[in-house]
Amino acid sequence: MEIVVLLKQVPSTESLVTIAEDGATIKTEDVNWIISPYDEFAVEEALRIREAVGGSVTILSVGPDKATEAIRTALAMGADKGVLVNDPAAVECDGLGTARILAAALKQMPYDLVIAGQRAVDDENFQVGPAVAEFLDIPCITLVIKEEMGDGVIRCHRTMEGGTAVLEAPLPMLFTTQRGLNEPRYASLPGVMKAKRKPLENKTLADIGLAAADFSQPLVRVTALKPPPQRSGGRMIEADDAQTKAAELVKLLHEEAKVI
Amino acid sequence: MTTTHESIAFDVLFVGGGPACLAGAIRLMQLARQKGLDLEVALIEKGADIGAHIISGAILNPTALKELLPDYLERGCPIEAQVNADAFYFLTRKKALRLPFIPAPMRNRGAYVISLSRFTRWLSKIAENLGVNIFTGFAGSEVLYGNGAARIVGVRTGDKGLDKAGAPKSNFEAGIDLHAKVTVFGEGARGSLMKTIGNRLNLYAGRQPEVFETGIKEVIQLPTENMFEDFGVNDIHLMGYPLDIETPGGGFIYGMGQGRMAIGYLVALGYKNPWLDPYELFLAFKQHPFVAHLIAGGRVLEQGARTVSAGGYYTVPRLYADGALFVGAAAAMHNPPALKGIHLAMKSGMLAAETIVDALEKQDITTRSLSAYRRRVDDSWVKTEMFAGRNFAQALAAGVPLKFIHLAVQQLTGGRGLRDPLPTHSDHTTLRPAKSRPAPAAKATVACDNTLMVDKLTGVYLSKTKHREDQPSHIQVHDPQLCIDRCLPTYGSPCTRFCPGEVYEIVTGEKDAQPYLKLNPSNCLHCKTCDIKDPFENVTWTCPEGGEGPGYKLL
Ligand SMILES: Cc1cc2nc3c(=O)[nH]c(=O)nc-3n(C[C@H](O)[C@H](O)[C@H](O)COP(=O)(O)OP(=O)(O)OC[C@H]3O[C@@H](n4cnc5c(N)ncnc54)[C@H](O)[C@@H]3O)c2cc1C
Repeated sequence: MEIVVLLKQVPSTESLVTIAEDGATIKTEDVNWIISPYDEFAVEEALRIREAVGGSVTILSVGPDKATEAIRTALAMGADKGVLVNDPAAVECDGLGTARILAAALKQMPYDLVIAGQRAVDDENFQVGPAVAEFLDIPCITLVIKEEMGDGVIRCHRTMEGGTAVLEAPLPMLFTTQRGLNEPRYASLPGVMKAKRKPLENKTLADIGLAAADFSQPLVRVTALKPPPQRSGGRMIEADDAQTKAAELVKLLHEEAKVI
Repeated sequence: MTTTHESIAFDVLFVGGGPACLAGAIRLMQLARQKGLDLEVALIEKGADIGAHIISGAILNPTALKELLPDYLERGCPIEAQVNADAFYFLTRKKALRLPFIPAPMRNRGAYVISLSRFTRWLSKIAENLGVNIFTGFAGSEVLYGNGAARIVGVRTGDKGLDKAGAPKSNFEAGIDLHAKVTVFGEGARGSLMKTIGNRLNLYAGRQPEVFETGIKEVIQLPTENMFEDFGVNDIHLMGYPLDIETPGGGFIYGMGQGRMAIGYLVALGYKNPWLDPYELFLAFKQHPFVAHLIAGGRVLEQGARTVSAGGYYTVPRLYADGALFVGAAAAMHNPPALKGIHLAMKSGMLAAETIVDALEKQDITTRSLSAYRRRVDDSWVKTEMFAGRNFAQALAAGVPLKFIHLAVQQLTGGRGLRDPLPTHSDHTTLRPAKSRPAPAAKATVACDNTLMVDKLTGVYLSKTKHREDQPSHIQVHDPQLCIDRCLPTYGSPCTRFCPGEVYEIVTGEKDAQPYLKLNPSNCLHCKTCDIKDPFENVTWTCPEGGEGPGYKLL
């Protein structure tokens, strides 16, 4: 089974994100970078499927030089090889543009199964996985919390409001991950050593048959980023017994926070 | 459950990714190249990245750097600024008195202001390019002994994926046994493995007890129009307020360029007053009119805390064992009057590397050949520099007016002073009973806006500290009942104050209305103050799962 994982390197959630002078991007110099957590679920699930049925796991990413660190981490977890589409023209892409690039790269490699995070935790776009499936003209199941591999088909359990749905699709197909799918493994120390020698290919847009000029005008442009409202400190409700505390809490939730 | 641990063999293993081990690893590879030796070298670091747990002032004395990498400027060494002038102030409650002279070891004009976190990241790239295997996110959790337990043969890394009760989860990953012909320990001040080796192999016999300081530091972004830029001095040291005259400590302010300032406060952990709270002192320091003026309008970008091994020359332990060498702050390499340790850490790592290459060439890795490291230290400027300040910390720890007499005589006698060596006293022994000192009226005395004046928990947030909640506590309190039965009545639970991360809380049980100790290990900044200062030695700090803890970038 040839499995491809779509992976993005994102700022860690602990990073202190500050908006750059242009008001539409973030300052990246002092940020800690990690694999987007949903993509980490994707890597883990790919490794489990490979362990069960054999085959290989390829990590595919669009990003700058720095993104090789994230790919190496996935290789250290146990993936077999990495491909990074690293082209200055790809930097400003919107979600759809990224999906076109990933689809073009995928068309050059064998795949039976593509796994992507439901979303990257930086842009929170939710678009890339399904759009890649669309460009490849293959089935797509989103928000998967469990999968069972059959003969040429995959059965996926998918979360929905108030329950789960079970869906089936023939391979090749693409699914996106939801929290609860698995607990990703750690990159082991021998894994880190082996990862250094695993193949990691850099490709430009031209290498995958795309013209850089086609990506100069994203269809969607971020015009402004705004920080969330300042966190204000918590308030402790002082009272002698639990009953009075609870009554005061209900009152505050109703009158001040206006949530109940 | 018995866990099996895979093992991997290296020629040399470095434990810790600070300036000591990184400079050592670089020197080792340089020498190996010169001599045509093919060495397998590994370095482990408990932080998620190199630099993630690294915090310092920092004024860099570039002597060791110039010896190690003469072309450091061409290699893009990250220097924030160069010291243009020094100033030394004594603070009273309201005033700042500029001293007319600067003590010689503190004259820094021409030295570099660096972020040690950035600097170590840069060093690590050089080490990696020379072929060092750097493993970040792996903590050394146990020392491996061989040959009837007399010889250090390597280090076991910590298990990952344990639940709160210590049982393996589905993603459990057993630690690895890293074997090496020589293991170099450079864990920084109060190394958790170093402490166990010291006790087991008697490294501290015949030495003065090590003493420490706790430092809290921030990087502040100043507004475009700010007082500090106009001030014209980018290296300021401040003594006096808010500390009482009995307790050694003080503040520093260094300009980093780009409108950024490093500001920090250090307190000697030999303090006596159990009510003392280093974090509150730091806040009070920032609110002193002189300091407040310089930082006005600023925003804290990052905060962190770490202890410094501040005893100096007489507290340096035995520096070698069969199969092991000890470098940097883990081995008390520090120049107390200059407030500097980075260059000594680097040089000690380099001297260790030279010793190792010799030993490997001679195929003798016993103390017979490794003890040459101590001789190399003593023959180098490390000894000359540390020896001059050998009684300094001890003098400061003395009462008033004795400390000033000690300092004056030391000044005149090249460090010898009235008594040589002046003894140090272990920091855990110095607290006086709580009732002998007036209890502070209320706890938080300083109002925090959490932008420029940040409270402890916001500080933890600004250190980007992260620990998985469902794992065994990495802070071991051996007897929690002792905390309540003896420490609370005698010292008023000093852990709730000396910990800058609010890891320790005394709370009252909902049901029985009894006080008990509540631990928040996920707040831990890895500063190690608790392991040092707890008056009953009831706390042992161990490494949590590798890759956790602070995520420093600028400190
Ligand atoms: C607030 C403050 C200000 C200072 N100012 C200055 C200054 O201006 N100039 C100066 O020269 N010095 C200064 N110092 C001192 C200086 O920072 C130290 O001397 C220096 O950092 C020591 O280097 P090191 O490599 O020995 O240890 P560290 O820098 O502490 O590095 C040790 C590394 O080892 C890692 N580690 C520890 N234990 C383990 C383990 N078991 N397994 C894996 N990894 C581990 C740690 O995470 C860390 O990354 C200051 C220190 C502080 C705290």
